[in-house]
Amino acid sequence: MALIKTQTAQPISQDERKQARDCNSLLLELNNDNPMARRWAARDLTDCPTASAALLSRLQHEDEVSVREVILTTLTVLGDEVAIVGLVNCLRSEKVALRNEAIEAMKQLPDEVAPIMRGLLTDADPDVRIFAVNILESLRHPEVESWLISVIDHDPELNVCATAVDLLGEVGSTASREPLLRLKARYAKVPYIQFATDLALKRISDG
Amino acid sequence: MKRILIIDDAATVRMYHRQILETAGYKVDEAVNGIEALEKSLQHPFGLYVVDINMPKLDGYGFLRELRLQDIYQAPAIMVSTEAKPDDQRQAFAAGANIYLVKPVKPEQLLIHVKLLLGEALE
Repeated sequence: MALIKTQTAQPISQDERKQARDCNSLLLELNNDNPMARRWAARDLTDCPTASAALLSRLQHEDEVSVREVILTTLTVLGDEVAIVGLVNCLRSEKVALRNEAIEAMKQLPDEVAPIMRGLLTDADPDVRIFAVNILESLRHPEVESWLISVIDHDPELNVCATAVDLLGEVGSTASREPLLRLKARYAKVPYIQFATDLALKRISDG
Repeated sequence: MKRILIIDDAATVRMYHRQILETAGYKVDEAVNGIEALEKSLQHPFGLYVVDINMPKLDGYGFLRELRLQDIYQAPAIMVSTEAKPDDQRQAFAAGANIYLVKPVKPEQLLIHVKLLLGEALE
C-alpha cells in the first residue's frame, strides 16, 4: 500500500512579518501607495528611535488625515529633538490642517516643548507666536502664567496679546491683574481687548 | 429672525461675537470646531455662519467646503481670522466664504456685514 502523505499545515513563517517590522523596511513602507500600509508603518516606527526625520518628511506631503494622525502620534512618542524641531516647522506651514495637527501634537509634549517655548513666543512671525500661545493652553508647566504676562506686556501684535488674554482668563492668578490692566489701557480703543481683559479680570477675581 | 452660528475654538471670541449679535437682536448658537458646526448645521440650518480658520479637528476652510457640499440653503459665511495675508483671503473665498474679516472685529463692522449678507436694511 502506498503511503499517503498527509498534508500538514505549512508552518507560519514569521520572517515576512519580521522583515516588515524592520526599521529600514518600515521607512520604505512610509511611501507605499496604500494609505493603510503607510499608517501601519508609521505606527510601527515607534520602535525605531531614528525615524523622526523620515516621518516628518512624509508628513509634509501626506494627504490622508488618518496617516498624518498616526505620524504625529509616533513623533510625540519618539519626542526627540528632530521631532520637536520638525513640529515647530509645521507651525510655519501654509497648510492649516497640518499646523493645527502640529499644535495638538505639541500640547502632548510639555517637557520637550517647554525649553523652546520662550523662543516660540518671541518668534519673528506673529502667527507662530499665536500658535505658541495656543500650545500653552494645555501645556501644564509652572511658567505658563509668567510667559503669558510677558506676552501681553511686550508683544507688539494685537492678536498675539488677544490670544494670551483669552488663556490668562483661565490660568491667570492675581499676578496677572496689573499686566491685564496695562494692556487694557494700551488698547483703550479696541473693543475686543476691553471685552477680553474685563472677562479675564473677572475670572481671576472670582477665583 | 435668522439664526447665526459662531464657530471658534476660543471661548472669549465666541462670547464677544455672541454679545454683539445678541445685542443686535439675533439668535445665536456656538460651535468649538468645524465638526461640531457641521453636526449642528445639518440638524438645524442657520441663516449665517461666523467662522474662525484655525481650529482643531476640522478648520474653518474644511468646514466651509463641507458646508457648501451639504447645505442646500447655501447660507452666507463670514470668515474671521487673525491672519491677514492675501493667500489666507484667497483660500477663504475658494472654500466658500462671502466676506473675510481680520480679528479683532469691531462690533459695527461685524453687524454691517451680517445685515448686508442677510439682506437687511442698514440703520
